[in-house]
Amino acid sequence: MKKKALVIDDNGNNLELEKDLLEVAGFEVFEAENAASGIAIARKEKPDIIIMDVRLSDMRGTEAARILRQDKETRDIPIVFVTASVMVEGREELSKITNSGFIGKPINTRTFANEVSQYIK
Amino acid sequence: MPQKKTTTRSQEYAESIVNTVREPLIVLDQELRVVTASRSFYEVFKVRPEDTVGQLIYNLGNKQWDIPRLRELLETILPEKATFDDYEVEHDFTTIGRRTMLLNARRIPNPPEKLKVILLAIEDITMRKSKEKQYLKLAAIVNTSVDGIIGKDLEGDIISWNKAAERIYGYTEQEIHGKNISLLAPPGYEEEIRSQLKKLRNGELIENYETKRVRKDGVVIDISLSLSPIKDKAGNICGASAIMHDITEQKKAKQVLIVSEYSESIINTVREPLIVLDQDLRVVTVSRSFYEVFKVKPVETVGQLIYDLGNKQWDIPKLRELLETILPQKATFDNYEVEHHFTTIGRRVMLLNARQIERGMGKERIILLAIEDITERKEIEAGLEKTRIELAVIKKTADEASEFAESVINTVREPLISLDQDLRVVTVSRSFYEVFKVKPEETVGQLIYDLGNKQWDIPKLRELLETILPQKTTFDNYEVEHDFATIGRRIMLLNARQIQRGMGKERIILLAIEDITERKEIENGLEKAHEELKELAAELERAARVKSEFLANMSHELRTPLNSINGFSEVLYDETFGPLNEKQKKYVNNVLTSGKHLLLLINQILDMAKVEAGKMKLALSSLPMKSLLNEISLLVADMVSKKKIEMVLKIAEDLPNIEADELKVKEILYNLLSNAVKFTPAGGQIGMQANTTDSEIVIVVWDTGVGIAPENMEKIFEGFFRVDTPYSRVTEGTGLGLPLSKKLVELHGGKFSVESAGLNKGTSIRFTLPVISGGGGVR
Repeated sequence: MKKKALVIDDNGNNLELEKDLLEVAGFEVFEAENAASGIAIARKEKPDIIIMDVRLSDMRGTEAARILRQDKETRDIPIVFVTASVMVEGREELSKITNSGFIGKPINTRTFANEVSQYIK
Repeated sequence: MPQKKTTTRSQEYAESIVNTVREPLIVLDQELRVVTASRSFYEVFKVRPEDTVGQLIYNLGNKQWDIPRLRELLETILPEKATFDDYEVEHDFTTIGRRTMLLNARRIPNPPEKLKVILLAIEDITMRKSKEKQYLKLAAIVNTSVDGIIGKDLEGDIISWNKAAERIYGYTEQEIHGKNISLLAPPGYEEEIRSQLKKLRNGELIENYETKRVRKDGVVIDISLSLSPIKDKAGNICGASAIMHDITEQKKAKQVLIVSEYSESIINTVREPLIVLDQDLRVVTVSRSFYEVFKVKPVETVGQLIYDLGNKQWDIPKLRELLETILPQKATFDNYEVEHHFTTIGRRVMLLNARQIERGMGKERIILLAIEDITERKEIEAGLEKTRIELAVIKKTADEASEFAESVINTVREPLISLDQDLRVVTVSRSFYEVFKVKPEETVGQLIYDLGNKQWDIPKLRELLETILPQKTTFDNYEVEHDFATIGRRIMLLNARQIQRGMGKERIILLAIEDITERKEIENGLEKAHEELKELAAELERAARVKSEFLANMSHELRTPLNSINGFSEVLYDETFGPLNEKQKKYVNNVLTSGKHLLLLINQILDMAKVEAGKMKLALSSLPMKSLLNEISLLVADMVSKKKIEMVLKIAEDLPNIEADELKVKEILYNLLSNAVKFTPAGGQIGMQANTTDSEIVIVVWDTGVGIAPENMEKIFEGFFRVDTPYSRVTEGTGLGLPLSKKLVELHGGKFSVESAGLNKGTSIRFTLPVISGGGGVR
């Protein structure tokens, strides 16, 4: 059975790139361009992993993560933040989210799917 | 059975009556046992039915009802009288405390079942009793109060009038009762009373209001008045109470006090000794100059008999005569000369002037005595030859002394001025003339305030010379700001000494004046500059913060599209979704290379900004430098061999571990080594040396390449400077590697320097890293 991955990114190009890379690696991939629809898909599909940008159009990725963590249906899904922000302050904020990881942009396409898989238990 | 049924019904009926009355009620049988009790009985006495019915009344509630008086009532009176009314019983009940109860009892005739039934009604009148007491107490207070207390209705008709009100106004209660309050208004005060009544009707309070009222005998008096509305049980305002006292005397006393304060201040500003005596010839107050002239202290003066002052030195027969005989008759005497030998100041001739004043300063009769020491005047008047000679001698010594003093005065740099006791200029220093642009002939002998067109008439200076100096004989560093006619607004620092001369006759004041205007200006200027600097620093800090925020945002915004550019070209290059032809593959690799270069550029710009903003933090750990240097050299070994150049390593064996940020040190070394490779043509050499001193390691990265022209030595650290060279491709470097490396070295607390003998003569970069990094990420 294929692993399910949910990718949330408001940049369509990056969304497509990450989706393609994960599909090539054998994932079933769901896409969302904002946090609200991402959260809805996460509740419905219960993916094995969520890949999420930090700056989203409707709320911050960390806020979306807190919502996911409060819902018992999505509480335990690992979250990998993919962000172009490299400031130390931003990373501290991310490290407070339980069961989460961090991949900086630009991503390495050759290792991306593998890096993501590391976070699935 | 029907009989029984009727009984039960009547009992039920009785019980229902018992329960509907509000007062505690209890029904007893012939043995004084409780047949039934009302609900309110249980509530008031906090007992339960099951502990009550069938019990002997005295045993109820832990025998709290075993009251001698109750026994008497029930066992002695009731059997005889069949009824008793309104017996008051005061008793300490266990459950409800000390209470006063009103007992009413009936023996019911024709009792249905038992022989005798007693109905006992108990009323708790404790509260009523205490209210009665309170009322009596209050009435007593009202009548004994020293304040007048008046009650009136809303129309102002008087309904109560206490004893004090009678004393204040002269009306008895009978006379005034029912009369309107406006009777007490002096002409012109009727409207005030009407408006007070209006306020009271609105429920307002009027407190400590001072006004005038008229007595029965027509005398107008000052009173202080407090008014408050009285409310009935329903809370409606039905009248007002007024509390007042006569403040006529108090007002008079206050006026007297004001007058006496005023006269005392006059006394103290007069320079002649003045003394105020009461009718018993005791000192009420004396002027400051009195203390000075006669050398006595206030504590040994005020309250004393004048003759006893200063060891009885004032016990002068002539003075006794004046004060005790002449003054009572004439109320005044003028210019009486009294010659007397005073203990403290020697033989003196005094001129006495006195006035007797009725009622002043809170005394019935006071005597104002002015004393003028005319000894000297008399001596001069007498024209005694001997005195004249003596005077000449004294004058000569004085002249000599003053010559000496003058020479001192003239040698000091600060303007100095000496004044006599009348504040006239005796002498001034040369610098005084210079600073204040005045001439000697218009200065000496003048009153200080009159100098240079009265420009010295400064209130603060007057205060210092006339008030402070006489008390303290010295003052230091008084700042006086003043607009001088000749020299404009100046700030002067004044220092003064009062010097006694001769036999206490003369007083010399030495006044040093320092112009500190410029000093103050400099001080103020410094402070202002300091403020401006602080503002500037804050502004710079803000600008730096804005800049670094901007760069962080910029970096984020650039990375997002770069993620697509690099990502998609990488996927294409890897042919993940199908093969490319050679040209396509080459092009897409060009895109990828450019994208990566752009990313490096963004990273380095961000790092520069972080260092400059002080936000670059070092992650310190212990670094094995020897292996680290070798490791980095391997990273460039490939480039070196490709370019056919030689690399020479001289790394000392004893190189210690250092405390530094591993990634940053690697970045520095990689930047410098790759630059060396980049700027050295084939056949050339690059090299790295590393040595250690006690506290640091010294690393030199050198090459035999293009070198740096002397005119460019400064520019290479400015960023984006690229040495024009045929050996390097434009895309290879960012132009930030060198300046960033320098900053990272400095962040570790090391030094960084570049040497080049000139163009095409190679470059040598030398930097140090402390063994223990002192930089620690702090700017």
